[in-house]
Amino acid sequence: MGMIIMAASTAVPQSDADASSVALAAKAAQDCLATAGLLPEAVGVLINTGVYRESNTFEPAMAALVQKEVGINLDYLAHPVPGGGFSFDLMNGACGVLNAVQVARALLETNSTKRVLVTAADVHPGGRAGRDDAYPYADLGAAWLLAKGTEPDTGFGQVLLRGSDNCGATTAGYLDISAAGPRGRHQITVQRDADWAEHLLDLTAATVTEYARTQDVDLNRTLVVCSRPTPDFAARLAQRLALDPEAVVAPDLPGGQSPHSGEPHTAAPVLGYLQAVEGGLAEAYGQMLFVAAGAGPSTACVSYHPQGR
Amino acid sequence: MRTTPSSRFEALGAYLPSTVLATTDLVAQMTGAPEFDLERITGVAERRVYNPSPGSGEDSLGMALKAAQDCLGNSRYTAGDLDVVISTSIGRFKDGDCMYFEPSFARMLARELGARSAIHFDVSNACAGMMTGVYLLDRLIRAGVVRNGLVVSGEQTTRVAQTAAREIADSYDPQFASLSVGDSAAAVILDESVDEADRIHYVELMTCAEYSHLCMGMPSDRTQGIALYTDNRQMHKEDRLRMWPSFHGDLLAKNGRTFADERFDYIVQHQVGTRFIEFVDRMAESEFGTQMPESLAVVEELGNTATTSHFLVLHQHLKAGTARQGAKFLLVPAASGVVTGALSATISNLGV
Repeated sequence: MGMIIMAASTAVPQSDADASSVALAAKAAQDCLATAGLLPEAVGVLINTGVYRESNTFEPAMAALVQKEVGINLDYLAHPVPGGGFSFDLMNGACGVLNAVQVARALLETNSTKRVLVTAADVHPGGRAGRDDAYPYADLGAAWLLAKGTEPDTGFGQVLLRGSDNCGATTAGYLDISAAGPRGRHQITVQRDADWAEHLLDLTAATVTEYARTQDVDLNRTLVVCSRPTPDFAARLAQRLALDPEAVVAPDLPGGQSPHSGEPHTAAPVLGYLQAVEGGLAEAYGQMLFVAAGAGPSTACVSYHPQGR
Repeated sequence: MRTTPSSRFEALGAYLPSTVLATTDLVAQMTGAPEFDLERITGVAERRVYNPSPGSGEDSLGMALKAAQDCLGNSRYTAGDLDVVISTSIGRFKDGDCMYFEPSFARMLARELGARSAIHFDVSNACAGMMTGVYLLDRLIRAGVVRNGLVVSGEQTTRVAQTAAREIADSYDPQFASLSVGDSAAAVILDESVDEADRIHYVELMTCAEYSHLCMGMPSDRTQGIALYTDNRQMHKEDRLRMWPSFHGDLLAKNGRTFADERFDYIVQHQVGTRFIEFVDRMAESEFGTQMPESLAVVEELGNTATTSHFLVLHQHLKAGTARQGAKFLLVPAASGVVTGALSATISNLGV
């Protein structure tokens, strides 16, 4: 049996107040549990894959703070839950969610847990992405609830992750402590080398081609759901791979978000999945290929066959 | 029929900066005259500190790279053989004072080492980071996703001590715990175990999230630098510390076993301080109703080195011959989150 998506959700800031990656990840995670009709204690492992966070917090794992908001294994002594509950941050730029899919599958296959929540939320450390013109990402959260499927030949395939040796053509997100002085909780630099987008497109096209060949995926009968490092990335990837442009989609920002607030970052695969399902594209194609591409440069791919078709 | 695979520790490596800072010298750097005896409270006599000059290679990434290279030197694998690289530094510093969020350090390390096709990702789980990396690598090996992999961490932990030395006034200050930290890097390679006498028997971890806010790390809003704010009283309350024996005891009971049945030769606690280690060992004796095995430590000389602490203990003691190969080790994490758990391993052919 493969691993399937039991529920998916995204969350956007509800007011002009400072956004919190913990709150956005927790809201999306709680929506997933409500959709699946499960209590928090049904989750054995929570993996948070967000990169940018409030106040540039580096400890504890943001996952622990999300876990607290969701109410998973709060205090094992007061309320022991069989097996407890565990969480950690897994970070790999835009590819984090697909790395987490690979890890989650190993956790399910080794019976380490029955369900894994994967959250992905990014916010500008200073509060709102829209206030910093140089910051390219949106304040956005998402979650997938993953579990073993019940039908054969459904769910996720193998994950393929590839990195480029060209470290001079990438995206770097960092806080320069000495430049920030006592303002370090509010600042972040996202720097992109001159030819980063072109180079990322090369790496992504090569990785998707390798995946199709080694995993026996017919790209002409597959909906490619890719992340959105640039607004035209999906169109350019379709052109590069000679695919129908309508079969390569990247997520739009969810409703209510200003177009100036940036691109979806780690949440992109979940957002793309939901838009493909809601738009009927997932049903029309039957098979999806998730593609995430970003800093590293790194690209990850994984196929997905939904259950119940 | 193929039995479910297990993993083992194949090789271990470490890097320690050469600069030693005695606790008395750290206290002398403090702006407010402290009214406490830091060495007596923590048991930390000295710690290693990174060299900030750009050519020293002692930023988090540089130290991680040196530990990974040391580890590969003790391994039968070359970098090109590695199926996965997991980096677990808490503060990812490179290029001087830049704290990185992306790309992952794992990607940078894989590239530098020559692990060209390795899966790569960072794990962040406070001081349980390396243990979490080992937990995930164990599962990836057991699930057949990878054959082997490297878990590595480089920590410029004394950055928070520098901020604490500038900013704190007394031993009740939330930055007090930052004064006991030390810098280091460690790396470990796991592969499949083919011998029960050389195996990770189990690694199980738990986060009790009610207490996730008790230790928070972020840039200071008073001076330039990063800071760690810990509610020590709540964090090290006996109820928090009893989570490990409670969780571990339940895990053993599920398999009809007791702590005494495990016949551990050594225990390695998180290296918070000498008194902390002693207290947790005594508390566990009372909870489990049996004596604890010999408790190994390096905290007096190296301080609390965060993610690397258990692996530095193994490295230093196995190398010095003060712990023996062929023995059964219990590693117990204690980290912000709050994370606890247990790793049980018989270590027989570990390259150090």
